[in-house]
Amino acid sequence: MAASSSPYVTLISNDGFEFIIRREAACVAGTIKKMLDPQSACALPFDVHAHAVIYTMRVTILTSQNNHSGVVLEKVCEYLYYNLKHKDEKDVPDMEIPPELCLELLMAADYLHV
Amino acid sequence: MSVKGRVSGRRAVNNQIRGPQSALTDFLASNNISAAQISADYERRQREARQQQEQEAAANGESVDQINDDERVEIAAQKKKRKRQQEKTLAKIKESKDYKRQKKRKDEGHDGENDDVAWDMYTKKKPLPGQLDNCENCEKRFTVTAYSKTGPDGGLLCTKCSKEQEDQKKKDQKSKKQAVSRDKRRHVQSNLLDGIVQIGSKTLQELCIKEVANNIHEVDEFGDLPQSLLNRLSQILSRRRVITSRTLDLFLRPDLETIDVYDCGKLETEDYIKLFSVVPKVQNLDLRNAGQFKDEVVDYVIERDVPIRSLQLEAANLVSNGKWAEFFKNCGHRLENLKLSWLDYSMDDDTFIGLVRHCPNIKRLKMKKCFRLGDSALVAMTDLTQLEHLSISFPTATTPGVLADLISSIGPGLRTLSLEGFSDTDDDALSVIHSSCTQLSKLRFTENDCCTDIGFASLFTNWSNPGLAFIDFSSNRSVDYAVPDGPEDPVGLASEGFEALMGHSGSRLERLDISSCRHITYECFSKVFDGKKQYPILKDINISFLTKIDTSIVAGMFRSCPELIKVTAFGCFKVTGVAVPKGVALIGVPNAQDSIVQEGDLDADLWQGLKV
Repeated sequence: MAASSSPYVTLISNDGFEFIIRREAACVAGTIKKMLDPQSACALPFDVHAHAVIYTMRVTILTSQNNHSGVVLEKVCEYLYYNLKHKDEKDVPDMEIPPELCLELLMAADYLHV
Repeated sequence: MSVKGRVSGRRAVNNQIRGPQSALTDFLASNNISAAQISADYERRQREARQQQEQEAAANGESVDQINDDERVEIAAQKKKRKRQQEKTLAKIKESKDYKRQKKRKDEGHDGENDDVAWDMYTKKKPLPGQLDNCENCEKRFTVTAYSKTGPDGGLLCTKCSKEQEDQKKKDQKSKKQAVSRDKRRHVQSNLLDGIVQIGSKTLQELCIKEVANNIHEVDEFGDLPQSLLNRLSQILSRRRVITSRTLDLFLRPDLETIDVYDCGKLETEDYIKLFSVVPKVQNLDLRNAGQFKDEVVDYVIERDVPIRSLQLEAANLVSNGKWAEFFKNCGHRLENLKLSWLDYSMDDDTFIGLVRHCPNIKRLKMKKCFRLGDSALVAMTDLTQLEHLSISFPTATTPGVLADLISSIGPGLRTLSLEGFSDTDDDALSVIHSSCTQLSKLRFTENDCCTDIGFASLFTNWSNPGLAFIDFSSNRSVDYAVPDGPEDPVGLASEGFEALMGHSGSRLERLDISSCRHITYECFSKVFDGKKQYPILKDINISFLTKIDTSIVAGMFRSCPELIKVTAFGCFKVTGVAVPKGVALIGVPNAQDSIVQEGDLDADLWQGLKV
């Protein structure tokens, strides 16, 4: 289980963008956390390489609407870090969400449980 | 050739040799306007004005003198200010490096006065654009431009330092803005009143939903958002009162089975018909403030045989009694949940009897603020044998015995029971609840001044019903103004009853509302919330208007209820300066300042301190 102890996780969008983020941040998203948990039923088979690679099913849904899933996933990653950074703070300033992305992002957020 | 010709032509008109002149003068000249004339006119007007002033001054010398005096005073004040500033600047200059260096130079040459050097520097003109100067910060030589900024000591800065200074200024302004953001503070307080204490950031879903709500007028369709998100959006948009015919369209999708609109105030009759035509399979319908939900809409529902199983309507007063009867007759067999509220025009006892006859499958019934229902409706309700959830509040007076009969007949099946404002009901009702209800998880019994403390105590003593998760016993108290402390044998929920309640349900209780039960004593509270007895899942307590409660009781409450997230304490004037554990919202205490939030657990020392 060398892979499971890797501090990084790669998220790949359907249009081919890869985002390498810290495992901690990735686990902010409930769905990814479940995927990474070897005990859980929806755990993914781990790659032999250092990274656990996640092909989020969600990404397919995102692209079915248009081809911006990379943009959406980027924003999701931004949020994961933003959430991690402000974990125990009070009165956290809201993250800016571009209006044109908000619906797609909402669907992604619903899927990822963030 | 032609150009030359034009030039010579002009010369012929204006046969003079002149220096270069501006394009404007040229243009004015071509339009026969002379710049010289304008300036001459201007000077003449000035001269005339001055002469007139002098004449007037001579005519009323006194008043002018007075005015001049005033001016002089003002000027004197200004002068003083200027002098002060001058002195300040001079003092600053004397401290600056440059001054010391120059002074040294001067001292070497001849011994002039100290002030002279400073004065020289003060009056020394700043270098003009294009000249060279040394930067005040980094001492580098640079070319002065019109954009060079002044440094903190009055010297000029080079391009790089200028930029840095500007950036710093901008940063300061920004951070200041954030610190004093009033709106933000208002928002936090508003959230606190809703019982939301936020630690960490909002969820991405919440952020996105807000953004969608902010841009609702640009959204063309929601796509396939799941029901839970649609519901949340509907809540936010309803709260902002922007559910209109257009925005309603966004929520309508043929495949949906649930529609919740929490504020239909802006919807018209056609909108409801549109709703049923677009979503013909809707089963769960919740429409609040549905004033325009009329007979014709019900007609449409009956005609299309919309499979409604759960119906909640608020303020649908334009549906007539006859139409209700028709609706129950045709669609009643499907109905499982029915919640009607704020009906003051239709829905009388006879209609209700029709409801009971045609809707045998009703499991959940809520009749609130139905002004035309009374005893007969309560009698009729006894036939609803499937009932599991009953919630009633009738504005008209009812007979206590009838309510007791109702509970004794349907009580065994009930899981939740809410009786609001049955003010004439006495201990009999409580003893009937005790004897017939055995599987309640929620009990509300409010606004009563007939039941006694003994009645409440015996309800909870040896009750075969397992512990309740939700208890609302607000406003059970004596309202005899002549005896403010209540009679000797306490009326309403008082000490004995409250102790019995916590003893019976404490371990499973999640929400407790005992607001205005003002006969519960201080001793009782300190016994119940002693910090040692634990109420492991109690999350929400309302202790408003229990004036006996003080800071140490609330502190004990925090100790006794580890899962607490919300304490409502309006009118508890003795609760001041309490240390609120992290993640708990304490609402309504007198000073609306930020409560002192205790990080982590309350430690023992502090606990002792609070006790004192």
